Amino acid sequence: MIAISTDHKRIALNMGLTALGFFILGGIFALFMRAQLTSPHGDLMSNQRYDELFTMHGSTMIYLFVTPMALALALYLVPLQIGARALSGSRVALAGFWIYLCGGLVMQSGWFANTGAGQAGWTSFYPLSNGTYSPGVGQDLWVLGVILAALGELLVAICITMTIARRRAPGMTVLRMPVFTWTSLVSVLMVVGAFPMLILAMLLLFIDRHGGHIYSGFTGTIDYQDLFWFFGHPVVYVMFFPYLGCAAEAVATNAHKRWFGYKAFVASMMTFSVLSMSVWGHHMFVTGGVTNGFFSFTSTLLLVPAGIEYFDLVGTLIGGAIRLRVSMLFGLTFFIQFLIGGLTGIFVASPVLDYNAYGSYFIVAHFHYTLFAGSVFGFFAGVYHWFPKMTGARLREGLGRVHYVLLFIGTNLTFMPMFVLGLDGMDRRVSRYSQHPGWAFLNRLETAGAGVIALAVAVFLLNVLVSLRRRELAGDDPWSGHTLEWATSSPPPPLNFERPLPPIRSYAPLLDLREEAEDRARERERGAASEARV
Amino acid sequence: MPPLAIVDTRKVYDWVLSIYVPIAIGVFALFTVLIVGAVLVYRRRERPSRRHEANRLEGSYVVLLTLVASFLLYITFTALHQDNLIVASARASSHERPAVTIDVTASRWEWTFTYPGHGITHRSGAVGQEPLVVPTNVPVRIELRSEDVIHSFWVPQLAFKHDAIPGSVQTLTLDFDRSGSFSGSCAEYCGLLHAYMVFTVEAMPLGRFDTWLRTGGTVSA
Repeated sequence: MIAISTDHKRIALNMGLTALGFFILGGIFALFMRAQLTSPHGDLMSNQRYDELFTMHGSTMIYLFVTPMALALALYLVPLQIGARALSGSRVALAGFWIYLCGGLVMQSGWFANTGAGQAGWTSFYPLSNGTYSPGVGQDLWVLGVILAALGELLVAICITMTIARRRAPGMTVLRMPVFTWTSLVSVLMVVGAFPMLILAMLLLFIDRHGGHIYSGFTGTIDYQDLFWFFGHPVVYVMFFPYLGCAAEAVATNAHKRWFGYKAFVASMMTFSVLSMSVWGHHMFVTGGVTNGFFSFTSTLLLVPAGIEYFDLVGTLIGGAIRLRVSMLFGLTFFIQFLIGGLTGIFVASPVLDYNAYGSYFIVAHFHYTLFAGSVFGFFAGVYHWFPKMTGARLREGLGRVHYVLLFIGTNLTFMPMFVLGLDGMDRRVSRYSQHPGWAFLNRLETAGAGVIALAVAVFLLNVLVSLRRRELAGDDPWSGHTLEWATSSPPPPLNFERPLPPIRSYAPLLDLREEAEDRARERERGAASEARV
Repeated sequence: MPPLAIVDTRKVYDWVLSIYVPIAIGVFALFTVLIVGAVLVYRRRERPSRRHEANRLEGSYVVLLTLVASFLLYITFTALHQDNLIVASARASSHERPAVTIDVTASRWEWTFTYPGHGITHRSGAVGQEPLVVPTNVPVRIELRSEDVIHSFWVPQLAFKHDAIPGSVQTLTLDFDRSGSFSGSCAEYCGLLHAYMVFTVEAMPLGRFDTWLRTGGTVSA
């Protein structure tokens, strides 16, 4: 019964496959939007349909794909990486997966409501989202769907946190946990800290919509945004860290070096997560309801921990024995493209620049560079890296390279012109735009780019299909991995490890073993040489 | 009339941008070159180095990052201090009278521009295309209101926007530093016809503006 298995790997695969399904669904929504925007006065669909599409695109991607996929990766890999035989509270995690799945279905069922699916945006700002301005069951289903999805994700995150706290193998101290496990730990801690606020804000919104009048007047309007963004900014990092961990593990493994500057990296993760709980007001610079200086201060400071990651990346590469496998290509591109998202993030952390960028396509470009050009590339780095562990078969490198090149071209073609359009004055969330010179051309480029992205995803799915049908057996450790998941069979047995674990003396125990063997061999050579001289 | 502190938002914005953009391009170029360069140099090598820490170097790098952050914050706070005069004008004393006050009311899905005491009301958005007429090079006070949901008053030419939030009056003092016709729009998603909630700004010298105002908006702008 794979649907009710309490094996963390099975739950994680179910959750990951569900999230992948929602990724494709959300991508289809985006394709429809891009088709509508091909010309300034596209008449492919009604305004309402467009509003439903961008609302559901954002909601599907954030609540139902990027966040749960990050948790699914952590759910699969963290117990393996810390040498645990099982997950703590695995039945809670199973319930969490099903609640999340139900949340997704409830949200999407809005498409069959006579008033249409949710159409108040993925943030559903008040009062637009209240009973007066967004009447109808579609918005109710959206609110309930968000509550359920967030609750399910919260339960899974709690189980991962408990597992890290209680089930580390002997010798696996906190400062020997692998890089991916650290990125997962800070993410699940942020989920535990921030998601209850979303659930609360949405419950209050639901009550409000049904006559409760919770959020009223100017302060109520600001309060909703405070509550929402108190969740909404930490979640940005939940949607980033585990993918950073994927990219870092892929880069370190393919450079055949352990991740550089581990302690500084861990410190930067913790700084990042603490800061990220105190920056939410930078989404509200133009409301006149927050202290812009404070949130600008905390947001700009984020460049310090972010900079450390880049230092560590370069340190890992220098002196490495680099192999440009597909996982490496995705991992490296994650860092370079995310840099564009990060640097423009520092721009909009300056209120003066945000006064122009807010609500425009500049913001759309910025967060797609972090979430798509960043996280999704990190996700694919992780997929190519761990697919052999999860299935026992490698993905094809050739198809993988095609997938990579198409995704790289499509991503930049789609999201780069948005920076220009935003600075030039194009609003986001519009189904029609004015005939400014150049706008139609840039929008056409973006639509073409979206098509290329769709093609890239199709190539990826084809690669998965081919690789599972005609299997190239991977063996336990195809890449000379560094961490404990490579010390068990592929896929791992139900209780993860049948052989005794290798000694754990650092965050890269398998690399330690190889280095020791190398040292011994070198010693023997030297010994033999000196004997010969004698 | 003693002039109200007048802030050229576009100039402040351009100033901050002119410092941020070169730094960002430099950082992006530096890391891209380092990453691509390291990959090219260490591709296909055997025997990887085992060095995995450079704590002193990393420590100095953190100091450098902190200095960069401090510098950016200094620039931003300097600029923000100037921009604060725009929204903080509720505190402005009575002798700092603006040249003209315009009531801007946002509602789904139109802008209503009223010139109190002159009997002029213009509407723009889903209902029509009457412009927001403003004088140049004098402070223009805008009293921003919303009748229903959140809207946002955005004039890209000024590189400035501010939310119109129901239940509040947001007072802005803006400066239009050149004559001409600029586009403006609602930058906060507000429902079905959000895309149609656009307007035009007609900025003209004070003399012409006064004539326009005196004649009740009949003389063409």
